[in-house]
Amino acid sequence: METLSTIQNELSFIWWIALGLSFMLYIILDGADLGAGIFSLFVQDEDERGAIMASMAGTWDANETWLVVAGGIIFGSFPLVYGSAFHYLMIPLMFALLGIMMRAVALEFRVHSSSSQHFWDWGFGLGSLVATFFAGVALGATLQGFPLTDTASGIPTYTGSGLRFISAFSLWTGVAAVVAASLAGGLYLRARFERRCQVYDHAGHWVAGSFWLALAAVVITLVWSWVAFPWAAAKWTGPHWWVWWLLGAVIVFAAIKMRLASAQRHDMRAMLWLSATIVLMWGGMMATLYPWLVPGTWTLYDGANPSNSLVAFTLAVGGFIPVMLMYNWYQFWVFRARINKLAAYAH
Amino acid sequence: MVENSLSVLLSRLDFAWITSMHILYPPLTIGLSLLLFISEWRWVRTNEEHWYRLTRFFEKLFIINFGAGVATGVTMEMAFGILYGPFSQAAGPFFGNILGYETITAFMYEAGFVGLMIFGWGKIGKRMHLFSTFNVMLSSSLSAMWILVANSWMQTPTGVTLKHGIFVVDNWFKAILNPDFLLAFPHMWIAALELALFFVAGISAWFMLKNRHAALFQRSLKYSLVSLLIVAPLQIYLGDGLGRVVAQAQPAALAAMEGHYHTYNPNGTVNSGWHVIAWPNDAAGKNDFAITLPHVLSLLETHTLNGKVTGLDQFKPADRPPVLLPFYAFRIMVAIGFFLFFVALWGAYLALRGRLTASNALSHSGFLRVLVFSSFLPYAAVWTGWWTREIARQPWVVYGLMRTSEGVSKMSVGAEIIWLIGFMLFEIIVWAGAWYFFAKVVRKGPDMDSPVITEGHEHLGHLEPPHEEDSPEYVRPAY
Repeated sequence: METLSTIQNELSFIWWIALGLSFMLYIILDGADLGAGIFSLFVQDEDERGAIMASMAGTWDANETWLVVAGGIIFGSFPLVYGSAFHYLMIPLMFALLGIMMRAVALEFRVHSSSSQHFWDWGFGLGSLVATFFAGVALGATLQGFPLTDTASGIPTYTGSGLRFISAFSLWTGVAAVVAASLAGGLYLRARFERRCQVYDHAGHWVAGSFWLALAAVVITLVWSWVAFPWAAAKWTGPHWWVWWLLGAVIVFAAIKMRLASAQRHDMRAMLWLSATIVLMWGGMMATLYPWLVPGTWTLYDGANPSNSLVAFTLAVGGFIPVMLMYNWYQFWVFRARINKLAAYAH
Repeated sequence: MVENSLSVLLSRLDFAWITSMHILYPPLTIGLSLLLFISEWRWVRTNEEHWYRLTRFFEKLFIINFGAGVATGVTMEMAFGILYGPFSQAAGPFFGNILGYETITAFMYEAGFVGLMIFGWGKIGKRMHLFSTFNVMLSSSLSAMWILVANSWMQTPTGVTLKHGIFVVDNWFKAILNPDFLLAFPHMWIAALELALFFVAGISAWFMLKNRHAALFQRSLKYSLVSLLIVAPLQIYLGDGLGRVVAQAQPAALAAMEGHYHTYNPNGTVNSGWHVIAWPNDAAGKNDFAITLPHVLSLLETHTLNGKVTGLDQFKPADRPPVLLPFYAFRIMVAIGFFLFFVALWGAYLALRGRLTASNALSHSGFLRVLVFSSFLPYAAVWTGWWTREIARQPWVVYGLMRTSEGVSKMSVGAEIIWLIGFMLFEIIVWAGAWYFFAKVVRKGPDMDSPVITEGHEHLGHLEPPHEEDSPEYVRPAY
């Protein structure tokens, strides 16, 4: 394979950052929607479930597209990774997709349904749960890496079994994702519903419980990664260990602020602290991974687009990301007010 | 033969299923968003309530369709990487970039504004809302453009060279503006418009037949029929042009579409006959039975009486596409195109002579019934057209450069079957759901009672309470 020029190396790095940003935005934005969906499985009142769905009616679509954008960036900037990793992750991605699609359809169809309402409610809740769990599994499986085989054309790809993704670690990251999304969903609902709604109180208890679970999940994941992955241990307890421990301290601080803000009913502030926690943790993970895109399998430079295309890709879409952020923001602004359970009947 | 191993066939079938179920929705999104923009624009300009009611009514159908389109579309992107891993790797520098442009400059753009368009009524100003509708219209067309760039490039891959198993782009302009794209995109875009116009016309005709809201729907009926008078023949014209591009750039594909096995007749003259109906036999390399019109094939493809059209005998057996499916799919598409043109002529004649107004339309109930039936036909035409395109390109995934068998992931047959069954079940639920709710919304009819939205009268973010519900516990959210 031809070596990349310096400029392409730099562009690969920029697109790696853009990819990380898209995933991070997806986790922050749709994580809350997914968590609210998981919460809805435990809601008895039909109207409340409807109101939870109505609360994201105007924005879920835009939130979800960050995942599609991330997919587009991998395909466009890291095609070698795209073709091999998606094959490796076929089964978890399939379930995650089915979950995401079930949720999307339930959101659109529920308002028009009468007799089938129950079915769409379940579809929404289960779809959210399945999508979150398998997205977590896919992330864990990616962190483990996968073997590459050279094909006739000289491009390394994955040709192994479809079940290789299964491991204790990847199943655990699936569970951890569900726990984390539950917390995000609880905080989101606290911010979206009127304070005298039942949903508001229930979400409060939910947040209190899932906060401790999420904290435990993060600690377990970190210790496990440190034990299992040399690339992680090398950084966290290597010569610059204090940088990582400092980052850890800041994350703990943000998490405590989130819990306090939520307890004091500063709901918007709690969501922002949660977002800060996610940003710091995600950034920490990317820095730990660098230069790997898939540890032990693809570095971001090997997996990058091996032609002159990255320059074109950057020119064509680089300027669009800030614009997207702007109109996304406008959208949240328009739909920002609190709602109550009667919203289930809306439109 | 590797080419037709079960695993390759299953990958193709999986992808064919996913594509076929997805393409049921975007054409309506593209066409209907344009019509919604026009009617909303008329409302903002004239302040006539009719336009407002029509916009709100058809927008409900638009939402259902849009949701189903997004749900089935997300699969498509991932399916490339999963089912066609080696293809994705090799074609990433061009194909992946184009899909990347599509997600960023079109899909995301559309998703951002569609929320405002659907739920923003009354929360944002009239003009801002119209602007949102405009953006949804523009971005959905943009999305179609990028997708057609990617697909057309697979048909006529110009501007790239295959180096070390990877397509390197030499010339972006040539690759994007490849010969097939220049006609395939207009052909698809007009198909979307024609489909949406027949969708609107068919539903309007149904209301006229039931004599419900006839005064409202006479308007959408008339406008769509008159527009079809231009759109339907234009589509036939574009299709003819695209056929000639295929004849030049992909002679094997054209030969398959036409069941044209022999370039020359046994006596050495050019074989210029066009088969109306035939029973192709790939194994024998001939048609077992055919009804043939002399000279018509040459006329169609070269616009001369005895021009040479390359037959399948000029290609190695390994390079020949299957014939039966493209042959009949193509004929069905063309037949529908002409039938819809005839319906458009008939309808425009009636509409322009004032025979389809609220008071007298029922005396033309025969035509209205034909119109309701015709509103399903564009779907069949889109399907058969797409199948023609994709099957006639075989055995290549990138025409002439990369074989389908080289592009598929090395998956186990079991995994492919599970994948296929999972998506079959799911997408059938989505499709049935979409049509069930279409029918439900149409049966319920437009909302003629709730007050017309005035300029930004609602609190931002507030969701409307039910009109019929008069719950004492309800207090308007004090934001």
